[in-house]
Amino acid sequence: MPPFTLHHPTTVDEACELAAKLMAAGEGFDWVAGGTDLVPNYKWHINTKPHVISLAKIQGTDTISSNELGCMVRLADLTEENGVHSVVVQAASKVASSLVRTNATLGGNLCLDTRCFWYNQGEDWRRSIDWCHKADCGTGADCRVIPNQNTLCVATYQGDIAPTLMVLGASVHLIGPNGARTIPIDSFYQLDGMKKNVLEEGEFLLKITLPEDANKRIGSYQKLRVRDSWDFPEAGVAASWIEGDPTSLVVATTALESIPRTHPEEVASVLEAGWDGNASVKALSTAVQKSVKPVNNTALPPRYRRSMVRVLTKRAVQGLLE
Amino acid sequence: MKMSGGYRQQPGGAGKVTRKDGKRVAGKQAFPPPGSGGSNPTMAPRDLDFIPEMVGGKEAQPAGAHVHDRARTGTSVGKPTALVDSNAKVTGQAWYGDDVRLANEVIGKILRSPHHYAKIKSIDTSKVEALPGVLAVATGADSPHQFGVLPVTKDEHAMAVEKVRHVGDLVACVAAVDEATAMEALNLFEVEYEVLEPVFDPKKGLEDADEPIHWRGKYHLARTNVQKRVFQEFGDRSLVETPLASSHGKWNMAGVHHGFTEPHAVVAHWDPNGRLQLYTPQQVPHYTHRALATVLDVPMHQINVIRTFVGGGFGGKSDPFPHEMCAAILARKSGRPVRITFDREEVYWINRGRHPSHIEVKMTADEEARISGFDIDALIDGGGFASFGHVTSYYNGVLATAPYELGSFHYTGARVWTNKPASGAMRGHGAVNTRCAVEVGLDEMSEQMKVDPIDLRLANLLPPHSRTISGFRITSNGMREALEKVREGSDWDSKFRQMPLGKGIGIGCGFFISGSGLPIHWDPNRFPHATVHMQVDMDGGVTVHTGAADIGQGSTTAVAQVVSEVLALPLEMIHVRSHESDTSPVDLGSYSSRVTFMNANAAIRAALEIREQLLNAAWEILGYHPNNLVLNDRRIYYKHDPAIGVSYLKALHKAQEDKGALIASGAYRSPPMGGVHKGAAAGLAPAYSFSAYVAEVDVDVETGMIKCTNVWAAHDCGKALNPLAVKGQIIGSCHMGLGQVLSEKMVYGRTGHLQNPNLLEYKIPSVHEMPHVEPIIIESCDPEGPFGAKEAGEGPLLPILPAVVNAVYDAIGIRLRDLPLTPDVVFKGIEKGMKAAGVDDPLDLTSPRVEHGALQPLLVKRAAEHKVRDRARQRSEDTDPYVNGVLFGFDPNLPLEDQVEGWRTATEPDPEQLAELGLAGKAWLKKEQRHMGGDE
Repeated sequence: MPPFTLHHPTTVDEACELAAKLMAAGEGFDWVAGGTDLVPNYKWHINTKPHVISLAKIQGTDTISSNELGCMVRLADLTEENGVHSVVVQAASKVASSLVRTNATLGGNLCLDTRCFWYNQGEDWRRSIDWCHKADCGTGADCRVIPNQNTLCVATYQGDIAPTLMVLGASVHLIGPNGARTIPIDSFYQLDGMKKNVLEEGEFLLKITLPEDANKRIGSYQKLRVRDSWDFPEAGVAASWIEGDPTSLVVATTALESIPRTHPEEVASVLEAGWDGNASVKALSTAVQKSVKPVNNTALPPRYRRSMVRVLTKRAVQGLLE
Repeated sequence: MKMSGGYRQQPGGAGKVTRKDGKRVAGKQAFPPPGSGGSNPTMAPRDLDFIPEMVGGKEAQPAGAHVHDRARTGTSVGKPTALVDSNAKVTGQAWYGDDVRLANEVIGKILRSPHHYAKIKSIDTSKVEALPGVLAVATGADSPHQFGVLPVTKDEHAMAVEKVRHVGDLVACVAAVDEATAMEALNLFEVEYEVLEPVFDPKKGLEDADEPIHWRGKYHLARTNVQKRVFQEFGDRSLVETPLASSHGKWNMAGVHHGFTEPHAVVAHWDPNGRLQLYTPQQVPHYTHRALATVLDVPMHQINVIRTFVGGGFGGKSDPFPHEMCAAILARKSGRPVRITFDREEVYWINRGRHPSHIEVKMTADEEARISGFDIDALIDGGGFASFGHVTSYYNGVLATAPYELGSFHYTGARVWTNKPASGAMRGHGAVNTRCAVEVGLDEMSEQMKVDPIDLRLANLLPPHSRTISGFRITSNGMREALEKVREGSDWDSKFRQMPLGKGIGIGCGFFISGSGLPIHWDPNRFPHATVHMQVDMDGGVTVHTGAADIGQGSTTAVAQVVSEVLALPLEMIHVRSHESDTSPVDLGSYSSRVTFMNANAAIRAALEIREQLLNAAWEILGYHPNNLVLNDRRIYYKHDPAIGVSYLKALHKAQEDKGALIASGAYRSPPMGGVHKGAAAGLAPAYSFSAYVAEVDVDVETGMIKCTNVWAAHDCGKALNPLAVKGQIIGSCHMGLGQVLSEKMVYGRTGHLQNPNLLEYKIPSVHEMPHVEPIIIESCDPEGPFGAKEAGEGPLLPILPAVVNAVYDAIGIRLRDLPLTPDVVFKGIEKGMKAAGVDDPLDLTSPRVEHGALQPLLVKRAAEHKVRDRARQRSEDTDPYVNGVLFGFDPNLPLEDQVEGWRTATEPDPEQLAELGLAGKAWLKKEQRHMGGDE
């Protein structure tokens, strides 16, 4: 482990003050929730900071209800018994392994660092490839996936839960030294493997809330991965709709780009022609598949992942045909 | 005869005599003295269920009698037994390499090469030495002596001398007061490299290079990176010219890694007497011992190799390692114990995993559905060093010469160096990949001939006590029974080629050595393969000294069991000491599946000596000859009247009169065997194991994902000394083999780097991927095995690969020949299949069907005849010689060259053959340096 100072604020205000202080002193810091994403990267000396601020001891960050979920809610607690929406439960229950899920948090999964097999490696390994754009150790190294450039990072976002919250219309509540703001989760992510999301320096994700009509929605999350445990998604498709009403369909994907996102244009183009059951499902699946361009930085080849988007989409919206 | 029980163990004990005032009865102790009989005071009746019927018990012997039957006492052999070290492991008290903490230890770290291939121009260690907390620094200059697990290919140094050969290769090392300092020190080495052009593709390794990765002097093949080439041909290849059926498959198998839980670790300490104490989780402590002596320039008797508990080896800990040398060198320089522990990534740099392979298998069958020929070509990617590769290059061919009777056999193999972490021996060794290709080829030929693949095999098996086409001596052979049992257990006949699209069932077989017949070191001459010492002192407990390396397979338990069996003592009275070379007589190590066969045999011999001394002492006491005495549960009694007897302890004390502790030594050496052609020794074994698996799979045709749901796994281990351990090995091997066929792959990327040196991206199947495995133990009772036992540690891995690949074909009608069958690979095959079938939805594909042809009843009939033949041979009722070829009408009593026109045995290709050789065969187009008129 590289040396760093771990802080344990107990209130949101304390956390924001601490962040402001460190920013003023020019000291870099990372937030940590369950640690299942940060700690492995720190062990490998990937973009470490001298300070880490833990959210684990902050009061009131673990609310679970059908329309509010705190950032510190452990994935293992995202269950239907606790009132969580079935689509979210589906995604959460597939994250990593049962052991990891007892530590991992909702906030952490939403803010998951983007991944790439040139980046998620030990320090010696990365030194032997002369670093990369996202972790260049000051060398200005090029990206190893899209070579000969060091302006765009294409690391893949591999969180499972974000697309399910997107199709339920969730909002994220952000807080920092400059105050609080609430934005739709659709607007939270930023298409850049390094910036990842719109969190400003010093801000963290405090909780998510769901609109009232989320409870009327049913849906499914389909995850593509090699093994039924441990593995990040190689592609993921979430869909939700109000029972019996195809016009309410919302579809989101993950693990195909540097961000998860909804596909309103693809859905609209299919609905425009009038819902035609199987034919519409087929058209939708093809449209979503065409709209993503995964790159070669995960375990399975991008061409395969792209082909599977069609199958995953078809399976995610299967319930609409019943 | 009815046994009256209740015989008390003697001596000691006041019996039922008590005093009213509670005081001790004069002259008698209130309790038995220590060691007088273990925890149970009364003798148990003989456990006849575990005594062979031919010596008066009830244990059935369908495979016939065994020379060790008389030594059976029903105490331990054949009973499911928890491993004797299991308590230590499950309570976390087992001491693995990294658990050893010596006083004043310092931490060692290794500086590794960031380049695939480079010359080392200079190493400046001044800044490292200047760092406070650094106690010692070493580089390749500190040990110029080469070592390697095989004496014929000693190509490793403790640290690189002259050049580095892969990313991760050792360059230097440092010992410091703590890990942080050591890691900081690594950043202070200043190494000047001259980067060389690396070779990654093994096919490129066949070509001449500017700077071959190693140089073999006058034996080097031109200027290639070929380390070893093999050619073996037996038989008359004209038999294959007009086959009835044929199969031709070209396979790509990715390299895989053992993935053991415990990363390598080592602690080195030069004790006050100047002797090296080296603590290491090793499979081969003896070979390590030899290598240390060479590298450190110190005689073997000044080195004590202490094998810690081993958290999994599987061939990944069966080499003497450079990091062990580094620890010893640093410890010598610093005067402090040095501990080096690997992180997971370093485990991938040292590798020794299964060779990435390009294997081409052609086979033919004749008009009677006999297998007229196997033609195998195997190019294997050795990485930067030799390790066990010389042997692998043979095993990829020679271990395909059984279990089937062949009309001819042709094999070309080549191992090349590339600038990657070195490949080595991994569970099942070179046999695994070729076996998969062969078994799938048989499935393809069965399809062409319209016969059932199990029946094809049953009608073409070599019998027990036969010789293969390559001259291997097969003794016990349970292949037939294994096939029959899995056929029945899986309900094969109602499922094969009859299930809906996406559901499939497949068969695969395996054949593996139970110990290598010839040792790899020739010195000292006629040295035993295993020696076991035993001592019994006055407390009655038996201490067994053996070098057998328990790597989790349970060798310590197996040794304890056979001793407990021979001496009729409970397992708790047998103490096995196997950790230190100082006190353990040499055992060659845990590799090639030799330990049960060789070490347990040696242990039995030693135990029989002790038994003889005990029976002689009992003779003196009771007046009855040892032939009339029975050993049972710590007591020796007259066989016609159990009341006449003496306790084990009393007989022991009698034997010890004027002598003290009893000592015995047992040794085992394989009998001489095999042919005389070059390479004849490779693949020789005193016994072989046979396995047959049926696997059922579900394939999601839309995604290409394979789920293996059920496996019926029959393995002939001769005799299950510990059925619990055998079943564990079968299930564990299934898991490891399943990983290779479904998801495990060492991924080398665009830049040549290993992309996934960690357990997240190197995809070992989780418990969710495991099928239900039904382990079936087959006991063919090997005449030379300890109580009939043969190996069960590696053989069980082989069949799962072809069983799954064949099941996938049954499910979706697509022949896949790229391992692992990750979903993208399967999906690509499905897309091809869709195109060929003219459908655009995978759900519209059809799975294969079969309608049996005229050859089917012929095979069934022949198999039935062979079953009778085999049973008679197994039970030694028919002892006529049988050599591969009898099925084709040849006389087993005459040399084949004399009776078959065109029969040839060759270990080099004829000039006319050179043009038609396969990929690895191309190595034969090159000449050795000494034949090129100039060498370096």
